[in-house]
Amino acid sequence: MLPLLETEAPGITAELILQQVANGVAKGSVYALIAVGYTMVYGVLQLINFAHGEVYMLGAYFSYYPAKWFGYVPETGEKPKVPLYLIGALFVGSMAACAAVGMLIERLAYRPLRNSSRLAALITAIGVSLFLQNAGQMVFGADPKGFPVFMDQESVPLGPIELANTKLVIIVVAAIMMTGLHLFVQRTKPGAAMRACSFDMRTARLMGVNVDRTVAMTFALGSAMAAVGGVLVAMDQPRLTPLMGLMMGLKAFIAAVLGGIGSIPGAALGGLVLGVAESVVGTWSTTYAEAVAFIVLILVLLVKPSGLLGKSGREKV
Amino acid sequence: MRTALTLLIALGAVLALSLTACKKEDNSAGTSGVTDDTVKIGLFVSTTGDYATFGGDTKNGVDLAVEEINAAGGINGKKIDLKFQDTASKPEEGGSAAVKLATQENVLVAMGAVASGISLSAAPVFQKNGIPMISPSSTNPTVTQQGDQIFRICFLDDFQGAACAVFARKDLKKEKAAILMNQDDAYSTGLGKFFKAKFEKLGGKVVAEESFKAKTSEFNTQITNIKNANPDIIFVPAYYNDVALIGKQFRSQGVDVPLLGGDGWESGKLIPNAGPGTLDGCYFGNHYSQADDREVVKNFVANYKKKYGEAPSSLAALGYDDVYVAKKAIENAGAFDRAKIREALANLKDFEGVTGKFSIDENRNARKPISMLKIEGEKFNLVRQIQPGEVE
Repeated sequence: MLPLLETEAPGITAELILQQVANGVAKGSVYALIAVGYTMVYGVLQLINFAHGEVYMLGAYFSYYPAKWFGYVPETGEKPKVPLYLIGALFVGSMAACAAVGMLIERLAYRPLRNSSRLAALITAIGVSLFLQNAGQMVFGADPKGFPVFMDQESVPLGPIELANTKLVIIVVAAIMMTGLHLFVQRTKPGAAMRACSFDMRTARLMGVNVDRTVAMTFALGSAMAAVGGVLVAMDQPRLTPLMGLMMGLKAFIAAVLGGIGSIPGAALGGLVLGVAESVVGTWSTTYAEAVAFIVLILVLLVKPSGLLGKSGREKV
Repeated sequence: MRTALTLLIALGAVLALSLTACKKEDNSAGTSGVTDDTVKIGLFVSTTGDYATFGGDTKNGVDLAVEEINAAGGINGKKIDLKFQDTASKPEEGGSAAVKLATQENVLVAMGAVASGISLSAAPVFQKNGIPMISPSSTNPTVTQQGDQIFRICFLDDFQGAACAVFARKDLKKEKAAILMNQDDAYSTGLGKFFKAKFEKLGGKVVAEESFKAKTSEFNTQITNIKNANPDIIFVPAYYNDVALIGKQFRSQGVDVPLLGGDGWESGKLIPNAGPGTLDGCYFGNHYSQADDREVVKNFVANYKKKYGEAPSSLAALGYDDVYVAKKAIENAGAFDRAKIREALANLKDFEGVTGKFSIDENRNARKPISMLKIEGEKFNLVRQIQPGEVE
């Protein structure tokens, strides 16, 4: 018998569970932001882009260096008031830089292999991931870096529960970005091109879709979303390391699979379910939280192998 | 034909080289770490890799002590010739560094390592070669159980955890403690376990026991649980990197209860990373306090700052003490003889070090006090020292 449900905390109340759900939503929003990158690339290329977690790491670092100019730097103790547009510029800058990195990775590492076996591309993805981790340690240093502070963390009461203001920012920004992405893919012409490529790349090309450009755009969009995740997490948990993308990438990948890989709403749902499952299980035992959360995922996939919102069956030959 | 000839020549060259190498070793094995005017002392710590800052600080402390001793005429007239090996933060490097120090350099006494894993891989080599090894800061209990040549001059995790509990219960008069530890780190879970046992023995109650995985930076779930349990002190036996984030997140969830921790908290980066004010009024146990007003500490802190331009960490202090312990043992032994030095180490009493006044006990561990520090602004102020007698 695992000492799993042997709780020492006095009373597990509805408020406590609700609070943990809120914590989980904040955690899951970040998973979702990163999961869409996996899901979009998989949708178009059937490639699991294992370097995506590292793009998230780069997103955090790309915002760290400019942020040092105007943020509160822990070493000096100064605390300037940072205007909103500068924070916005920080996000946009990091997104643009990551989009460029994403396209570069696609151009240099994946495009030359587009017609070789899927396994070759997968191994290349792992190679790119390792390369970025180690290059990050060389360029940024292995030492953790403290992210400059823009807003003092304080808790905001929300009825019976409360949440740190930085967590609220995460949830709101993530929701806006995800909705925007969904609308882009569903309602615009480039979005339609992406969906067409995902449906059948060869036919899409025959119909006049510029496949190379569409694939590059897919990488750019996914990477930009990961950059948003990176900046949000850096603001909330100010500790950047070159290996921070490893675990986050894995979790986001799992969220994408859980939600149904290839589906953008699925990635959002998968991220939220994973985050909430971890937090709520943690109410009883934080030691086994991840293990139990993953067991839940396995059960879901046993019942619905294509994921929560995944389309079943249609595998390209 | 020509390839075969080249190969033969190459083989011959390799053989000749290895023969001369063997011969060289044979020559030096006769002496025992001393020449007419020097005494060879080995040091193995990691100045590269994950523990680079720990090893670097230790080496700084060691270098300072060696410099001071040599300037004052050395040990019984012989200058210290420090033989250094970098163990690169890898346990297996401990063994090869030990082999080099023991057979090639043939040191009289060896000092190292910081990480217990590295000490554990080096200890059997020194034990086999009859060379006393003095670890400055390996806290795992099994290190000195490797043999009668293996000593250490720092306190152990069981003492540290229990002392924190004594401090929380008797000095701070706290009744309900929560524990938040890193489940992937033996240091952290060990301290948590010893704290809990002592705190409950002293009549306190542990109301929440939470853990997190290594490398997480999100502690909301754990903090919510702890908040729900409503403790009046929170024991966080983790390293400063985690503590900075944990402190921040506790405060951002409106938990203002003081946090308490062990020597893993000590770092110049703790306060900058946590942000000013976040950890004000929190406490941690440490090997020494810069504010200690004993002469030996004042001199050490002043000389260290002069040489390196920064305040010395505990690891620097332990490295510094390590050299003076070796010196004291050689002087007490009265000869440059390893067996006698071992005896002198085993019988070391009331050594006045930077990290407190200590003796070596029957298990070759140091019996010494822990300094409980309070965080006030950027400063770590000494509240009081807890003696081993108070914890037993």
